[in-house]
Amino acid sequence: MTSPRLGHPDLGLGLGLRAQHYQHILDHQPQVDWFEIISENYMNSAGRPRYILNQIAEQYPLVMHGVSLSIGSSDPLNFDYLKKLKRLSIEINARWVSDHLCWTGIAGRNTHDLLPVPYNEETLSHVTKRVLEVQDYLERPLILENPSSYVTFAASTITEWDFLSQLVEETGCGLLLDVNNVYVSCYNHDLDPLEYIERLPHQAIVQFHLAGHTNLGTHCIDTHDGHVINPVWELYRKVCQRTGNVSTLLEWDAQIPEFPVLHAEVLKAKRFRDGNNSIEATEDEETAVVTPSKTVPHPTTSVPMEFE
Amino acid sequence: MAHDPIFELPVLQQWMQLVITHPGGIESGLNSPEAQQQIPLEQSELESVIPRSQQLSSLDRLRVYGNAYYTRLVECLGEEFPALKFALGEENFAGFAFAYLQSYPSASYTLDDLGRNFPQFLEQTRPQDRKADWVDFLVELARLERTYADVFDSPGMEELEPFNVHQLAAIPPDQWEQLTLEPAPTLRLLELKVPVHLYATAVKNDEGPTLPQAEKTWLVVFRWDYVVRRAVDELQFRLLEQLCAGTSLGTALSETLEGSPLSQEELAIQLREWFTFWAKWRFFSGNRLQR
Repeated sequence: MTSPRLGHPDLGLGLGLRAQHYQHILDHQPQVDWFEIISENYMNSAGRPRYILNQIAEQYPLVMHGVSLSIGSSDPLNFDYLKKLKRLSIEINARWVSDHLCWTGIAGRNTHDLLPVPYNEETLSHVTKRVLEVQDYLERPLILENPSSYVTFAASTITEWDFLSQLVEETGCGLLLDVNNVYVSCYNHDLDPLEYIERLPHQAIVQFHLAGHTNLGTHCIDTHDGHVINPVWELYRKVCQRTGNVSTLLEWDAQIPEFPVLHAEVLKAKRFRDGNNSIEATEDEETAVVTPSKTVPHPTTSVPMEFE
Repeated sequence: MAHDPIFELPVLQQWMQLVITHPGGIESGLNSPEAQQQIPLEQSELESVIPRSQQLSSLDRLRVYGNAYYTRLVECLGEEFPALKFALGEENFAGFAFAYLQSYPSASYTLDDLGRNFPQFLEQTRPQDRKADWVDFLVELARLERTYADVFDSPGMEELEPFNVHQLAAIPPDQWEQLTLEPAPTLRLLELKVPVHLYATAVKNDEGPTLPQAEKTWLVVFRWDYVVRRAVDELQFRLLEQLCAGTSLGTALSETLEGSPLSQEELAIQLREWFTFWAKWRFFSGNRLQR
């Protein structure tokens, strides 16, 4: 029997590392359990972002989270990318390396979006083969996140949770369960999020993501620009009952607040850990009054330049 | 149904990418010959590939990705070229960025490469009226901001000792013909018609600058923790240009200073000043003396 979380420790409550907070972290050394980085922001950097990352790596556990592996693409795997990914993971002692169950482009292009795949046997076989290749190359299990999605395919013949379950079984990869993405995708595809989290292989869940989203009434968009809403906390509570304590991370990538606001948000997760069961009202779901065409899903994260 | 060739993964992915990245929008993408070649489809038949949800049509669901594609990447370009965006205004900048992304769609796993060809694109698409100062200004501003981006992430000299004036003094002048210097990886030289560096800094400081007057500028861009630039005189710039190209110090000096009114004594003082300045900012990482 596989050990829970593939043997990875529960790192506690962490935050996505963003350039806006570098100075605060270096100056105040906040009591955050761990940080997650966007891998692509540091893989090519030999400048200040990397210099700061090295300092943070000396003080906090780090996890790498990528947005360009494109594990579901029909294009060949990019081994130049994997080489740099592996090198960075060794240099900063990343506890694990994650990316998304998605594709980002084909025919050599990168849309820089996390595009969904159709869930069927053909895709499962394709993705399984690639996950095994990546794991062989990285010499560690890959951790894959369920994406937020806005379309489904007529070509899909199995559910997302069954697809993930079979992928875990066939490759030994781990899961990064983004609880907000479960909520967003189920809202968009008329599915029951409780059924989704009930049917997952709970012991393969290595990490949780929490984030805010934008509800446009007809659909939700994974914008990472606000507080985690009550229904998402409720899902988190439910899944924690199944998994026990699992490393939990808050993502906030647009309209990024001051560091203490971010930290306070992830600390709300404490009430659902260690078997705690209380629910306090936090943020109710509101329908946003915004222009849909201007509402952009994550990811758009980059490191701003600093110059004289 | 899954055995239908149109549901094969490469076909679906080619089709979806063509549709959501089409500059004319989702409907134009669906009807484009390229997408039709992958999956021949009337708009009314879209549900046979992308089912509708209870609240959104198939078209509107795809539109989420279509809307996001250009919006996201134009926003990223705006972050890389903030001064150019300020100079053009948001709408004009978005127009240039939108056109650029069609000519140079991203083929890299990192957004760091997204704007690499933007200065070149602006140069290639510049209006025929080549006298227009504002066009020079825009192209040079884009070149400067792209240079900043390159220098920001290149390997730097922060933890390395530079080649300094004392090391130079230890090499007799009669060996300078064999002496070449190794420029720091972050060192860039920009010859400009307009002092766009002052404009970029003014934008960064929220000073709301106006279009600067044309003025020849020789700029050295490098990094010392963050990106730094220093304007130098033409003589120093030409010497740096030669040294960075791998010309020996002896040849670079004689070619650069040909016809210079400086006496040997004045030249020695000038050289000492330059090398002190270059060492302070770590312009050169080492030297090579060919025997």
